[in-house]
Amino acid sequence: MRTLVINGSPKGKNGNTEIFIQQFIAGMKVPCEICYVVNEDRLQLATYIKQFDTVIVAMPLYIHAMPGIVMKLIECMEPASDGGKVMGFIVQSGFMESAQSKYLERYLSVLTKHLNYTYLGTVIRGGSAGLYMMPVQMNKKLFKQLRMLGEHFELNGSFHRGITMELATPKKLSKGKSRMLQFSHKLGLGDNMFWNMMLKENNALGRKFDKPFGNEDLS
Amino acid sequence: MKRVIIRECGEFEIPCQYILDLRSTAVKDCIGCWSCWLKTPGRCVHKDLDEFYTAYLDADKVIIFSKVSLGFVSGDLKTLFDRMLPLFLPYITYKTGESMHVPRYEKYPEIEVYYQGDFPSIEVKKIYEDYINRTFYQFYSKCEIVKPISQFSLEEV
Repeated sequence: MRTLVINGSPKGKNGNTEIFIQQFIAGMKVPCEICYVVNEDRLQLATYIKQFDTVIVAMPLYIHAMPGIVMKLIECMEPASDGGKVMGFIVQSGFMESAQSKYLERYLSVLTKHLNYTYLGTVIRGGSAGLYMMPVQMNKKLFKQLRMLGEHFELNGSFHRGITMELATPKKLSKGKSRMLQFSHKLGLGDNMFWNMMLKENNALGRKFDKPFGNEDLS
Repeated sequence: MKRVIIRECGEFEIPCQYILDLRSTAVKDCIGCWSCWLKTPGRCVHKDLDEFYTAYLDADKVIIFSKVSLGFVSGDLKTLFDRMLPLFLPYITYKTGESMHVPRYEKYPEIEVYYQGDFPSIEVKKIYEDYINRTFYQFYSKCEIVKPISQFSLEEV
């Protein structure tokens, strides 16, 4: 089984998607090849993919779907001429609930069928926006799950159902949880603190509410 | 009424303030740098959409003529959606019971989408429609029309 992992992040090697991929392949005895959509000619990559039995596309969630560059790659792909090929996806999002990725998940499952591949499934993980700047210690559990996912994939050619479900939790926010989060949002706590810290680092905190393209500011 | 047209199909002559024709204009892809949130709030590192942003925010209505691509929005239109991020704040509100970005501006235009192209099944058509509706819900725009381009009528504009 020859597997290709495609990194669909516009940030290539410097983003959270790369962290997901590195952990996923760290669980394998023979790590598979990785290609970066952002660095490749899309037509050439679409042709190159054909050599592999299994393709896993990992990407960040952008506006409830794949980044534009990934859709542009998809537009270059042709349905597989012979059967037996497999395609799966790994999606990581900033929003914490995995249900935010459901539009993309639904599309990826029908797209895979259209491309004459067998659908392996979509591993979804929310709350991953700040991953690349968090201390490794905070991501210990996630990394372990991703490595186990990779290990299982190498052995069985599938995404482990239990780990996939764990990663996708929470699917939605409970009433209590969203109330609590909204309360802390109003107080300027929670993720507000994360954004403000980074705005401050960039000397942009005072301009955070700027409306450069609004009518009221044109005067 | 102030209108903006975004199109990748159709040739209708509609009175409007601004046209973004994706067939002749290649919109630069989002590079995921978050500059529009954290370094130059509200401004993208790419400048190619500055006029568009102004027209979009000033419009009462934005009409999108979308070319269905493999049952979904095209890569070009998806890139445009990605590039809408500067119009919203990084902060997340949970008051609807789910995560949503906080609006940066007071108002956003109403959206109408007319699509050209076939869907392989009703299921795929539903995914496309749900996706469009969800996107403009996140973008704080009213979007009640997602129809085939054959149902577009100049008289109703």
